[in-house]
Amino acid sequence: MATNACLVVSLWISCLLATTHAATFSSLQRTLVLTASPQAGQVLKAGEDNITLAWSLNTTFASGIDSTYKTITVELCYAPISQKDRGWRKTVDELAKDKTCQHNIVKKPYTSSNTTFTWTVRKDVPGATYFVRAYALDSAGKEVAFGQTTDAHKTTNLFEVEAITGRHVSLDIASACFSAFSIVSLLGFFFMDKRKAKSSK
Amino acid sequence: MGDEKEIGSPGSSMHGVTGKEQTFAFSVAADQTIPTDPTAKFTLPVDSEHKAKVFRIHSMANPHMRTFHLSWISFFTCFVSTFAAAPLVPVIRDNLNLTKADIGNAGIASVSGSIFSRLVMGASCDLLGPRYACAFLIMLTAPTVFCMSFVSSAGGYMAVRFMIGFSLATFVSCQFWMSTMFNGNIIGLVNGTAAGWGNMGGGATQLLMPLLFELIRRGGATPFTAWRIAFLVPGLMHVIMGLMVLGLGQDLPDGNLGTLQKKGDVHSDQFSKILWHAVSNYRTWIFVLLYGMSLGVELTTDNVISQYFYDRFDLNLHTAGTIAATFGMANIVSRPLGGLMSDVAARRFGMRGRLWNLWILQTLGGVFCICLGRASTLPLSITSMILFSIGAQAACGATFGIIPFISRRSLGVISGLTGAGGNFGSGLTQLLFFTSSSYSTAVGLKLMGIMIVACTLPVALVHFPQWGSMFLAGNDKWSEEYYYGKEWNKDEKDRGLHHGSLKFAENSRSERGRRVVSASTPPQSTPECA
Repeated sequence: MATNACLVVSLWISCLLATTHAATFSSLQRTLVLTASPQAGQVLKAGEDNITLAWSLNTTFASGIDSTYKTITVELCYAPISQKDRGWRKTVDELAKDKTCQHNIVKKPYTSSNTTFTWTVRKDVPGATYFVRAYALDSAGKEVAFGQTTDAHKTTNLFEVEAITGRHVSLDIASACFSAFSIVSLLGFFFMDKRKAKSSK
Repeated sequence: MGDEKEIGSPGSSMHGVTGKEQTFAFSVAADQTIPTDPTAKFTLPVDSEHKAKVFRIHSMANPHMRTFHLSWISFFTCFVSTFAAAPLVPVIRDNLNLTKADIGNAGIASVSGSIFSRLVMGASCDLLGPRYACAFLIMLTAPTVFCMSFVSSAGGYMAVRFMIGFSLATFVSCQFWMSTMFNGNIIGLVNGTAAGWGNMGGGATQLLMPLLFELIRRGGATPFTAWRIAFLVPGLMHVIMGLMVLGLGQDLPDGNLGTLQKKGDVHSDQFSKILWHAVSNYRTWIFVLLYGMSLGVELTTDNVISQYFYDRFDLNLHTAGTIAATFGMANIVSRPLGGLMSDVAARRFGMRGRLWNLWILQTLGGVFCICLGRASTLPLSITSMILFSIGAQAACGATFGIIPFISRRSLGVISGLTGAGGNFGSGLTQLLFFTSSSYSTAVGLKLMGIMIVACTLPVALVHFPQWGSMFLAGNDKWSEEYYYGKEWNKDEKDRGLHHGSLKFAENSRSERGRRVVSASTPPQSTPECA
């Protein structure tokens, strides 16, 4: 009885400690196997091309390791070359402050069997070099494990996205028309005034 | 005849000149006696030149108050378009794949263009009149704002921001136009209010652009297109204001440019002499540096503050913009307040009071900038930012409370140089603190605050022989007439060209503070030399 009570109390305290401690990336285990369809160095077009993802649990780990996994969230993450000179994409160990992965691909409930998903690269994804990472979240929404398509140093198997320019022909025409109107009306006023002044003299 | 002055009107205790008038070439020296012209059919009481004697903010009376509103709103519009990119940088940097250096360089470019355009604008006002100078600038920079929709690289972004920045020269036309419409007694308050409300555009844009972006995005556009469409709004504001200035404005109370050229031959000074007396006066260069640390840091902060809140505290674009807006919007009161505090300090302590007032306000601004850089919680950060904005903007107002006294002959050129120095200071601080990747925006703000405190110290070196400086008292053996007369050589004095300066010298005697007998003379008594 006493040992049972001790176990419950210690479990409860450790749970409490776990939730108050900020999650860090270095504390996560790489228990998920994640593959993505783009080849290394392939260039995908935003808004047009697809990425097919497949993830499952790495069976070499002890069974029961996935007992806390409730959801899988898959993210598009910046490779180090696209983080250079861009402090707003910095990698920080504390996950709440980490800015490496800013584009969510999909969020699905966790199943231990192989899951696939096809995603069309969204139009608001900027042009950069990427890899894909999946986080396993527990019932509280905290990261407990991860898997990614690249190695630990984020150097292999990276692909690029070519973003949309955001320009449109109709917008260009509108800008040109307004600009022309501005100049023409200014010169029109000016010469009309000059003519009025001459004729009144 | 006795002086007829309204009791309590600003500057009435100084027998004519508030000392805060910013006169550029071609504005006539203010008369000591300002009788109201009874034959004039204007809504507001006017003097013999038909310049308004009162400043009624709520009125839209033609032409004086209408000019005031056209003028400050045009200047406001140019501030909106120059800083329109700043709150949208988090989207633009992803669209154009910018690095921190690219963003920093574009910010520098946005304030550099007007260093030159402000200098040229003075001449344009002389040649074309303020109405056309303002309209030309605002309507010719409208296409540059529309060009944002074509930008697809870092170089293009920087070039367009550089060209839009030219429009900040509307500051000069705004102040010049006020001088043609308002009497010297009240020109200080009018100019301070017009400049302050115009500068407010830097704050308003931080609210307006994210709001437009959000609305356009909800309308169905993707983010990388939505920000481009949002830029059409400042561009259209340029066109609308330009047309209103052309259609509703006039150069002078009595009419347009033709009359101006007739009256203009009162002043026929040589530009080379004016320039020489401006650049050879050491005080000019101290104020060029100082204004860079008040207006300059204000423009820099307009460019970086929204990004700072977005990145450091993980706020969304709309919230970061709203907080950043309060920085620029504080201008609605803080710039006029700085000028007012300068006047109040001068009543008791004269010019020494004005110098101390400037040093205190600008140094406090620097201290709160350091606090802003070091703050790690959102409430502390916002509080520091607001106090920083009040300090820096009040210092801008206080600076132009002193500038008119540096020189009478070269006032226009000195004002233009000081204004250009403000923009140069902005470019310099952005280059030093917000372009390198080796430290964050927060550290950059802290370092900028330290630079403000250090570079405000030279105000202690500004010494007027007749009035003193921060630490040295003035010497009664030097008179104001001697100081202002120094700018004219014997030949010019023989031809009587210096009489305007002499009049100003007499009126500026109140800068001695309470030591002056004339300061305590009741406003209605006849001065001895009437």
